[in-house]
Amino acid sequence: MPNNQMLSIGFPAILASSVHDIKNSLTALRALLSQLENIYQDPKPNEFKHLEFETNRMNSSLMQLLTLYKIDLSQFSLAIDEHRAADIVEDIVAQQSTLLSLSNIELITQCDGELFCYCDSTLISNALCTLVNNSQRYCLSKVLLSVTQENDYIVFSIEDDGMGYPENLISSDYKQVPQLDLVTGNTGLGLFFAETIAQLHVQGQSRGFIVTDNGSQFGGARFKLYLP
Amino acid sequence: MAINLTSKKILVVEDQAIMRETIKHILGAFGARFIVEAENGINAITAMRIDKFDIVLCDYNLLRGKNGQQVLEEARFLKLLPVSAIFIMVTCEQSQEMVLTALDNKPDDYLIKPFNRQQLLSRIERCHARKKYLASVENEIDNGNIYQAIYNCEKLLQLDGKKMRLQLLKMQAELTLKVGDFKTAEEIYQDILHERELPWARMGLGIVAFFLGYYDQAIKIFQDLIEQYPVMLEAYDWLVKAQESLGNDEHALSSLNSAVLLSPQSILRQKKLAVLADKTDNLSLAKKAYTATIKLGKNSIHRSSGDYSGLANVYLKSNAASEALKVLYELNQQFHNDPEAKIRAALLETEIHQTKGNKALAQQAYNKAFKLSEQFNRQISRELRLEMAKIFHLNGNGEICDEILNDLVKTNIDDKAFIKNLVTMCDAVIGDNYAETLIQHIKKELVDINNKGVGLFQEGNIKEALAVFEKAIIKMPDNHTILLNMIKIIIHDIKTSKPDPEKIMSAQAYINRAIQLGIPHNQISGLQTELDTIQYKSHQ
Repeated sequence: MPNNQMLSIGFPAILASSVHDIKNSLTALRALLSQLENIYQDPKPNEFKHLEFETNRMNSSLMQLLTLYKIDLSQFSLAIDEHRAADIVEDIVAQQSTLLSLSNIELITQCDGELFCYCDSTLISNALCTLVNNSQRYCLSKVLLSVTQENDYIVFSIEDDGMGYPENLISSDYKQVPQLDLVTGNTGLGLFFAETIAQLHVQGQSRGFIVTDNGSQFGGARFKLYLP
Repeated sequence: MAINLTSKKILVVEDQAIMRETIKHILGAFGARFIVEAENGINAITAMRIDKFDIVLCDYNLLRGKNGQQVLEEARFLKLLPVSAIFIMVTCEQSQEMVLTALDNKPDDYLIKPFNRQQLLSRIERCHARKKYLASVENEIDNGNIYQAIYNCEKLLQLDGKKMRLQLLKMQAELTLKVGDFKTAEEIYQDILHERELPWARMGLGIVAFFLGYYDQAIKIFQDLIEQYPVMLEAYDWLVKAQESLGNDEHALSSLNSAVLLSPQSILRQKKLAVLADKTDNLSLAKKAYTATIKLGKNSIHRSSGDYSGLANVYLKSNAASEALKVLYELNQQFHNDPEAKIRAALLETEIHQTKGNKALAQQAYNKAFKLSEQFNRQISRELRLEMAKIFHLNGNGEICDEILNDLVKTNIDDKAFIKNLVTMCDAVIGDNYAETLIQHIKKELVDINNKGVGLFQEGNIKEALAVFEKAIIKMPDNHTILLNMIKIIIHDIKTSKPDPEKIMSAQAYINRAIQLGIPHNQISGLQTELDTIQYKSHQ
């Protein structure tokens, strides 16, 4: 039984180590692309930015896979500390800067400089990056990334002016392992990851969580991440 | 942009030429003019010897030789990095951060590959802003003025209760731990935990419990932390210390082994594992850990000839003299012009030949060790000197053994752990009452010197009192009582004569030394306050 054999040598471990390899290749690929880009005079072909954007997406997914793998193995600890919410927003904007310069989409941010949250900032910004990224793909002209305080929670919201979430992604059970939708190619991995990470943030009796709906102030999809 | 790169000296350490080019290009686009590249750790260290860099971007996974962590450790050890310098470690994934964390050497920040220009810049800017804000604290730490650093922390917290508040509190708590003010540290950690369960604050409480001698309580805290945060390596390190302090070496070994499995690249943990496994007669684990230590040591500032003789001794214990001989050969190959290594090699040779029954060769090696030790006696580590004392005694050179032990007790009388090792050795090798008598004798000698100095001081003969203590401090630089009395007399001297900046500096230097030696807070803080008052008055 070839299938059983695969399992006995630990398919997840093989997958994880392949993910490492692919990540290294991706980094090299990015460096090569930027070399190539330097050869061109301004204005440089937009394809380069497209390429950076695509490699970015691949990288985020791989990082999420690795993190989920480690959580599964219990080899993972959150690095929780106090962070300025504005710094996390700034990280996300920096990460998205290439894509933004490429399209006519406006990324609006709203965040009080005095807001602080307790979280693993690398993980949170990684999770949010993927979702901002998705919003940029599905919106018409703008995406709003905002941070507010609701009772004892700090809330990161991503709202756009697109068509909104399809039925199956609205307030469903995000803890379900994502199923690949062959028609749209949407795996829901981004939401699954965000939910998993949110759940790891605990303060007393409260736990982090996510909410999705189509209540965006621009009429499109709205994602909210609650951190205690 | 808040930071101007034009005037900054930047070092890029990265093994891939393309990556170096890309980073250089980004930095150049933001105005950087002075960029040095290094493709490996050795070149990075050389570059840092030549220039004082403001920013170092260092890849963790360097293909050959040292890794990024080893570069950082060596740079800090050799003091090649100015306090204000920013060191950013570039890694491939987030979880590396925690696993890489060495005991004391953390970079200012991490940056995960791949990153774009905006991400790189924003990281540098944020580090720069943080460093600038904390400069008044970090500069004092660098100068060893811990009390002043604590004061500056408090000042910053008062100025702006929100900005970097937790980071400042964390620093303040760590500094108060350093000067032995456990009560304040505990208060800070409790206050933070009252607001929010943060792992480092919880660990702080464990550390306070450890220092206060509540080992069971400390162990419980560290174990709970590990259960919740399975890769929190610092919690393992403290757990090991607490278990060792309870004399529970087997448990300590098992905890340390778990930490090493998580961070096999950490040479200091491997080294400690080797020693502990050796001590508890887990010879195969000791062999494995020593071998790993030696391998990691090839690129590390923490490389030591002791790792080789440790491994060889384990082989001797497991009746593998020929393996031990191989290690000895390797030891001779790896270390030149290092007296400690030469002595270790000679001692090892003696033991190997003794085990093999080659009396003549053993005698020859012993003579070599003897000659070397006469030549370099005081330049070698106390651990090795203790070992030498043992071997001299076993070979009928009792007088030299006495001399070394006498000196070791004198210089280390306040170091309980070391004295314990010394007593254990003497009890096993020389005889039951030997160490006790020696320690009593030296304590009396100390009391005599101290009384003489204090007597002179009380007679008002300050100059001669100082001379007595100065003489004693040369002989016993680490002695707590002498050091404290010395500080008291200098301060009195300054108060009664004209304020003399040189004397103030000398008093401050002795106080810093006292903190380093771990003299308790309640014995130092009063002296520091007195000195501060004098300084404040002399500035008016």
